[in-house]
Amino acid sequence: MIVSLPIFLPLSFMIFAFLFRHYRGREYIAVAAAFLNVITSILLFSQTAREGMLKLQMGDWPAPYGITLVSDRFSAFMVLIASLIFLATTAYSVRSVDWNRKSFGYYLFSFGVLMGVNGSFLAGDIFNLYVWFEVMLMASFILMSHGGERQQLEGSIKYLILNLISSFFFVAGIGLLYGKIGSLNMADIASKLMKYETMPPEINPAFILIFVGFAIKGALVPFFFWLPASYHTPPPVVTALFSGLLTKVGIYSLIRFYSLFLYQHHEFWQPLILGVAVLSMVIGVITATSQFEFRKILSFHIISQVGYVVMGLGLYTIAGLAGAIYFLAHNMLSKTNAFLVAGYVYHQKGTLNLKILGGFYKKHPLWAIFFFISAFSLAGLPPLSGFVGKFLLIKAGIEADHLGIALIALFVGFFTLFSMVKIWIEVFWKPEDNMKKLKRIPQQNWSIQQNPLWMTLSSGGMALLIVLGGIFASPIVDYCYLAAESLMNPQLYVDFVLN
Amino acid sequence: MEFIIAIFIGLLYACGVYLLLRRSIVKLILGVLILSNATNLIIFLSGGIQRNEISFIPEGSEVANPEVILDPLPQALILTAIVIGLGIAAYILALKYKYFEKTGTHDLDQLSKTDQK
Repeated sequence: MIVSLPIFLPLSFMIFAFLFRHYRGREYIAVAAAFLNVITSILLFSQTAREGMLKLQMGDWPAPYGITLVSDRFSAFMVLIASLIFLATTAYSVRSVDWNRKSFGYYLFSFGVLMGVNGSFLAGDIFNLYVWFEVMLMASFILMSHGGERQQLEGSIKYLILNLISSFFFVAGIGLLYGKIGSLNMADIASKLMKYETMPPEINPAFILIFVGFAIKGALVPFFFWLPASYHTPPPVVTALFSGLLTKVGIYSLIRFYSLFLYQHHEFWQPLILGVAVLSMVIGVITATSQFEFRKILSFHIISQVGYVVMGLGLYTIAGLAGAIYFLAHNMLSKTNAFLVAGYVYHQKGTLNLKILGGFYKKHPLWAIFFFISAFSLAGLPPLSGFVGKFLLIKAGIEADHLGIALIALFVGFFTLFSMVKIWIEVFWKPEDNMKKLKRIPQQNWSIQQNPLWMTLSSGGMALLIVLGGIFASPIVDYCYLAAESLMNPQLYVDFVLN
Repeated sequence: MEFIIAIFIGLLYACGVYLLLRRSIVKLILGVLILSNATNLIIFLSGGIQRNEISFIPEGSEVANPEVILDPLPQALILTAIVIGLGIAAYILALKYKYFEKTGTHDLDQLSKTDQK
């Protein structure tokens, strides 16, 4: 029962939201619903942490035939982090989304994104996973183009076409896999694959197609081009929501598929995944250095940081996977908060061009601290959560005899620091140039000029979580190790779902 | 039969990719729709094409005979995929319309206003 709540709650809110679309207090109802979602996620998380795994057979059909929802330690953790991010962005949007967007269903579609994301985390059936992807994509397409400004429409077309193509790859892979294996339930497919001594080569094309689908969704090199072309176009809070949830779902699914199916053909997949990881880390961070737009720099860094997570997966040791899970959670929080700060800068100044901005530390010291925490957590400075994540991953890389990759990860961390220092100097430290200020043309009216208390609260809460995640890392890391152990042992998952 | 359909799917993919690479946004959208249908046909093919009975449990019996019926699941999957495809087609056409209203162009090369100069 509790397993279905993270899907059921956003769905019922979406239906309910039609009724108070034009009601003035709708944003507070949305915040309350997001808070309720955090509570149910905590319930799901604590129960999963106690019992290890939970499952729900939809309509009481037994496992290989019906649709199964499975919550293990990894997915429950992701649902919890996603709910926290969603609460922060919903609270943030109270003052940062304009009245028109709210009247035309901003909250409805943002809960649609949440439903799709939670569904993808909990799905135990590959076709069901595809349907949740589509729910999430459909809602995100609408949020991306919501408001219909010219640059938003441009970004949406790019985002939409490339994500649709990724769905086609994924569905074609599912079709081929079903033709070969004759099942859609993940546990059933895994148990059927385990019966082979070596993976039959004719199954690999299906998995290659599925891998390409996930790689496009997760913005891995060389499939990342949609992300920096579209993420800087919608209102900042939408970017924050997307950066926290969407690409991470692709990576989550990749980890899930790797731990259930692909590990059996390890000698083929490991070099591929590690190669993609290294390329993503390096190319993402180097392309970011040439940018001069706040959100574009952060968008390119998403690619680089997704590379870190995939590197942890590619090592495929318990330490590597635990590092990947911790890093994924840390990155969701820090990245979202960095975009929330970008939203506040836009709210105040009407532009995000680094060359024009300046003097923000003097006027808004609190927000400078929020940015400092999230940006330097991304760069991996102790005692913030990013340090723990990078430390775990690099340690795992050295232990797994991939010294070169560990060194590249360190080197990329240095470049990340460079980009973050660049933003810090240009936006927060450099004195504001009054000549340039006059030349500035206000672009869109994304924000309502009102008391930004809700924005401060949500961004401050996220910053607090990032600091706490770094200082009290030990229980979280222990939990990640437990989650990684159960991922490394797919027999547990198979037995639990099928019996 | 499978062989013919496989070649047909290949042709559809070729058409779809060709249309995706054109400059006009309308052709791009047509390409996406063709690709989505080609993908649906792949799922259809995964159940196998045979001359068999319809997938019903015969009257007076508790179970269907797996020897004579065809796997009905791929068809259910296609149904889902077609519905999703329909929704996406409606949305993408509306987006195209809105974009044309704003900019008055069908040209994909005009989509570079938000890129780095």
